[in-house]
Amino acid sequence: MPRRFHGLKKPKVRQDWSRETLYNLSRLSTPGANYKTFFQQKWLAKSLARAYHNPYVREGQWTRMFDRRLPAVVSMNHQYLAKYDGSEMASGRGMGLDKEPRTTRGREDDEWGMAGGEGDRDRDPVQRSFDGRVEKTPYMHMTFYPLERRLDTAIWRALFASSVKQARQFVVHGWVRVNGKKMIYPGYQLNPGDLFSVDPERVMFATGARKKNRDSARSDQDDIEEGEGEGDEEGIRAAKGDQEQEIDELAGEEQGEDSDAGAATLEPDEEREAMTTKPEDEVDARKAMKNLVVRAKRILEDSKRTLSGKRQQELRAFAQAVKKTMSKYRPNEPEASDGVEDLEAALAEIMTRIPADDLPTQSTSAAQSATTTSAISSNSEQRDPDRIDNYNAQKDAALLSAALARARENPIDVSKPYATPWRPRQYMSAFAFIPRYLEVNQRVCSAVYLRHPVARPGLAEVPTPFAAETMGLAFNWYLRRR
Amino acid sequence: MYDWLKGPGKAFRKPLGGSSNYLSAYDKFGNLHRSRVRRRDQRTDIDEGKGNDVEEDEESAAQRDMEDQSLTDDDRAIRAEQREMAREARKAENEETEERGGVPRERMSDMRPYPLNQQFRSQPVLSEALREQLYIQVSVEERDLLSVAASFGVDIRRVAAVVRLKTIEKQWEEEGKTLAKSYSDAVLSMLPTTPFKPDTKKAITPHEPINDLPVHPHTRQQIFYPASESRQFTREDAAKVFSAKLLPADQRIPLPMLVDLEKWKLGGLDRQQRQARQVQKDREAREEAAAKEAKRIEWEARTQRVVKGRRWDFQFQDISAEKVGRDGRGGEAVGYRYGMPHVDRKRGIVKIPTSVA
Repeated sequence: MPRRFHGLKKPKVRQDWSRETLYNLSRLSTPGANYKTFFQQKWLAKSLARAYHNPYVREGQWTRMFDRRLPAVVSMNHQYLAKYDGSEMASGRGMGLDKEPRTTRGREDDEWGMAGGEGDRDRDPVQRSFDGRVEKTPYMHMTFYPLERRLDTAIWRALFASSVKQARQFVVHGWVRVNGKKMIYPGYQLNPGDLFSVDPERVMFATGARKKNRDSARSDQDDIEEGEGEGDEEGIRAAKGDQEQEIDELAGEEQGEDSDAGAATLEPDEEREAMTTKPEDEVDARKAMKNLVVRAKRILEDSKRTLSGKRQQELRAFAQAVKKTMSKYRPNEPEASDGVEDLEAALAEIMTRIPADDLPTQSTSAAQSATTTSAISSNSEQRDPDRIDNYNAQKDAALLSAALARARENPIDVSKPYATPWRPRQYMSAFAFIPRYLEVNQRVCSAVYLRHPVARPGLAEVPTPFAAETMGLAFNWYLRRR
Repeated sequence: MYDWLKGPGKAFRKPLGGSSNYLSAYDKFGNLHRSRVRRRDQRTDIDEGKGNDVEEDEESAAQRDMEDQSLTDDDRAIRAEQREMAREARKAENEETEERGGVPRERMSDMRPYPLNQQFRSQPVLSEALREQLYIQVSVEERDLLSVAASFGVDIRRVAAVVRLKTIEKQWEEEGKTLAKSYSDAVLSMLPTTPFKPDTKKAITPHEPINDLPVHPHTRQQIFYPASESRQFTREDAAKVFSAKLLPADQRIPLPMLVDLEKWKLGGLDRQQRQARQVQKDREAREEAAAKEAKRIEWEARTQRVVKGRRWDFQFQDISAEKVGRDGRGGEAVGYRYGMPHVDRKRGIVKIPTSVA
């Protein structure tokens, strides 16, 4: 292992999700061949490639694993196979009849029973091969395919660890099982069909944001993001009063984030209002409830997209607001040390009190229940309990409980080794891909190694950051006679 | 480095909502390529008055067509249909963009995490809905793997793996273990996914090519093989030339039944006949397998002797002394149980198991 693993003078791309690797990747270029002998070119190429492809495997070990026969597949078209027996290739000059130029291809497309307007790019490789135009199979990119079989590499490729070294540590420390049996050898060569699973807590630790220190659930990531948000919204916040500052900050950052993503979607006025007013200050129960519901909607809508740190904060603030509102409008209940569970129970209670379907016969029972405790039914006390009101109340309560369930799924917990509520670590998205030879189930943090990686026309399955020339030179280095 | 991280690299710190976020999707100043392309498209659309067809409502467009004397009624109908399709496409695109939070859909060139490597791109993974559907198809409706794989456009091995993993997931849910839901949501939103939309016109999107033919080592050589011009030289003959035992591509692909179905279709059989023939073929295959199994059982009963002892049954079976494996210490070798010393402490002997049952 070199002393400067993430050196910036001689940049090496490594198998991890660090910002150094991202930066090195962004400025990586194919080394030029000027003033270099063939040997020097090969040396440089193989040293670059080996710095990425598991440098923890010793060179001697790797050279024993190296195989010059590289696997490939060609995807076949069953329609073509059914229609032709292959003898049509003998016509013409031995590669099939010459095809007409592309402009007059409409007729032949019809012969294939395909839509006439279909673009050439969308067509099957087999049909393209039939036309004599086929993409090359990038064999050279498959040079390091035996290393992809290793357990530690596969764990990293399945996005269960943030680097190969960390994956290796997980294996050595006994957090990994292969086919249900503990496997402590990171060099275990996976066989097709092997199922490997990593402890979910370890995965959350490896891929989640890091804790700032032992006693806080926050991470440095949040501080950085908040700093940016403050910079954007400085002017607006100066005008605001101190009391509203905290909640405004959340709303302001939200806008900043939206414009970052290129999505200039402004919140409606209603939502703004809901964000800025504190529910416990609200006198009118109906209005307070409405505000909560608006926020719940926002949170649920948000859950379809990714959940950033700021959203998580909002969620937390929301849960607190719900708690306060609930305690205010249910004074006859003792002030308990409510967790989210209690709130959910309260919501469930509200749900049961409101009739499920809005039949007029049941509205009388709703009126009776309205006199008891819940906030929503106190609204219906003011007016005649009609169907629409009931329906709305039902829907609101459902929304609230869904939002709370979401908050409970990802709680704040200082005892965890990662920042909570869990969110992905920074710069993860630039490295997030899962190659086709793995099938991953993220919920149980398990994956199946389906088959060995293969090359197919135009596409190699071994992920490598280097261009074809570099990989070709590296392959040549490892041939016995170089 | 820090300048870069604060400037163009800032986009990578957080995931792009509902979309992949790879290096090749940005230019060197940190701007999204595709958002710029989209803006340019819109501008040209407006300049040329193109796309108004889609924008304006159906009535006025129909009116314009009616006024155009050069068109026949058929043409008008076709044009109306085209307008309808374009409108639907536009609508679907807008909806999708909205779902992604205003970021347009990725293009093929945006999917390369490693900008220098043109031959690698991040390919879609199965979405949660599709995984659930595959699990239902196989374990609840008990369809066989081959037909599920063929109808959903997913590799057979992948279907089997999905079912395995889903079974574990259900088991965990039953046991009350906590699933890594937040992790799963975050990761799946960063990756491109193959959707499954059960209540739309195009419910199934093929996930991957299902009939992959492995390049056989025998076929890597170039052979000059003279054949007479009049000879019908087929794929089967070509396979024979490469190697005497090599099967043609039609039989080496994972789903040869698709070729048969297609052949019947070309032969002019209608749907029901094809189905009947398929059922018959399946039955024959099952019968053959059953006969083979019966034969094996019969052979075992004939050759394997079991002698009942007081506490144990003694099984006698034929052993070949030649079967000792590559290194003389195979699992089936005679001496394996009787005092064969382990060599795992010797120099150069690797202790890592080669397979886990």
